[in-house]
Amino acid sequence: MSTMKFDAIKIGDTLGPQEIPLSKEQVRTYARTCGMDVPRFTDDEGARAEGLPGMIAPGNLSLGMLSRLVTDWIGESGARLARLGTTYRQPVQPGHTITLSGFVTHIEPAEKRVEIDVWIESEDAERLVIGTASVEFP
Amino acid sequence: MAVEYDPELIGKVFEVTDPVDVSAQDIATFCAAMGETNPLYTDEAAAKKGPYGTIVAPPSYAVTFRNGRHFFTQVPRFGRAGFDAGKDVEFHAPIRPGDKITLSSHVKEIYEKTGRSGSMVFVVVRSTVQNQKGEVVAHIDHRFMNRP
Amino acid sequence: MPTILDLHSHSEASEDSRAPLEAYLNWIKLRHQERPVDGIVLTEHRQFNAGADYRALEDKFGLLVLKASEVETDYGHVLVFGVSEEMTQRFDFANVHLDAQELVDEVARMGGVAVPCHPGRPNVGLCEHYGLKPPLENVIAVEVLNGGSRKGEDDRSMELVRTYGYRAVGGSDSHLVSLIALCATRFEADVRSIEALVRELKEGKYQPVDFRPKRKPVPAAVPDEVRHNGG
Repeated sequence: MSTMKFDAIKIGDTLGPQEIPLSKEQVRTYARTCGMDVPRFTDDEGARAEGLPGMIAPGNLSLGMLSRLVTDWIGESGARLARLGTTYRQPVQPGHTITLSGFVTHIEPAEKRVEIDVWIESEDAERLVIGTASVEFP
Repeated sequence: MAVEYDPELIGKVFEVTDPVDVSAQDIATFCAAMGETNPLYTDEAAAKKGPYGTIVAPPSYAVTFRNGRHFFTQVPRFGRAGFDAGKDVEFHAPIRPGDKITLSSHVKEIYEKTGRSGSMVFVVVRSTVQNQKGEVVAHIDHRFMNRP
Repeated sequence: MPTILDLHSHSEASEDSRAPLEAYLNWIKLRHQERPVDGIVLTEHRQFNAGADYRALEDKFGLLVLKASEVETDYGHVLVFGVSEEMTQRFDFANVHLDAQELVDEVARMGGVAVPCHPGRPNVGLCEHYGLKPPLENVIAVEVLNGGSRKGEDDRSMELVRTYGYRAVGGSDSHLVSLIALCATRFEADVRSIEALVRELKEGKYQPVDFRPKRKPVPAAVPDEVRHNGG
């Protein structure tokens, strides 16, 4: 795990890319674990009946994966994820590989805080989820 | 604004949910469901040496707590079933095994815009997640998208 | 001196953007080789910040920051350049059902220019509306390159340009710091003010420019063993 230091971070530093082959079973497991055992997250037919292209990942799972992108980057540096905001632009469908990435966009030295753009891309390089995160260093 | 709703609704806090117990097993199950392997969240020995002195839940566990059944009967609907359009989360105290978590929510804002899928009404719900010590675990702004 | 400007961007003032202006300008400096813009136009959703003064940031970064708006009409979204107090009193920018023809004509009469954006986008772009209603009159230019476009959308916009003879502009439509200036517009003239921008959009020479990187090959679809487990 990384043990990076705040002073070494630069604007433009990258997070990931993390390529995740998202399976239907993973999505079902997450949905059921979190009490969201509903058709749109567990069953293609059921999801289509709601006007969706097929089974989709819950927004919380996208948020969780982006959160993990940041906490993986934080590693054992002692920093903490202070804020994460997400916008779901397109459904995240299992049975495809998604790529999670990020860029450091701003550094606030007085508060030892770093701002990061994060997003999830489809195989077609379309941005399915976009967001920003704030990380505070000790 | 074309969107109509009772302005009294904005800011009105609905019931605080009954406390939900969080066990070490719950955290382990959540980590497994996420494919999370970070030792701070999964390895007791490593977590003891970390900033919290104990295993804690990954930050995104804080968004998995649900409002009570009654909440959504009181939030205005603007047509067909809502979609989760995104969340803005401020993380504060971590969630530890043994914590009892409550959720208290209110409607923060309602607005209309148009996009690829047509006219949309957004209902923003602000939730405060707290533990048994009264500490804030997280503030969550949750955007629900409705299609009239 | 030619001027290259990102004509379509959203700062934190737009409710769905997460980009502080200063971070945008910093990013442009960082990426100036790949995205050689001279400045940006903030086209905030459904509002115009008349009082906002960005001169200090312009001086700090040596970049131009102009203000405009993106409003919503019965023919889709439209960028309004040269917003005046008269305009914001005539039109409620927060109304998502503005009359597009009125907007185009009145904005022109009041000394500005209205440019339909992302015309190829479903619901909120001109192309779909032109399939159902008479085309708008007096449109000068449309946005054919939009950084948020999905596959095929910009192509549809180009079709519109060919059919109606519109002029073409480009903009990033950025809502995230790292997406600023991926698309822009290159003006042959020197543009240093909103008045100059409006004049050039109406009468000058310009074209959209694309600074998006060539796409890396994407990984193949989910490997068989994972697909089998998930199926």
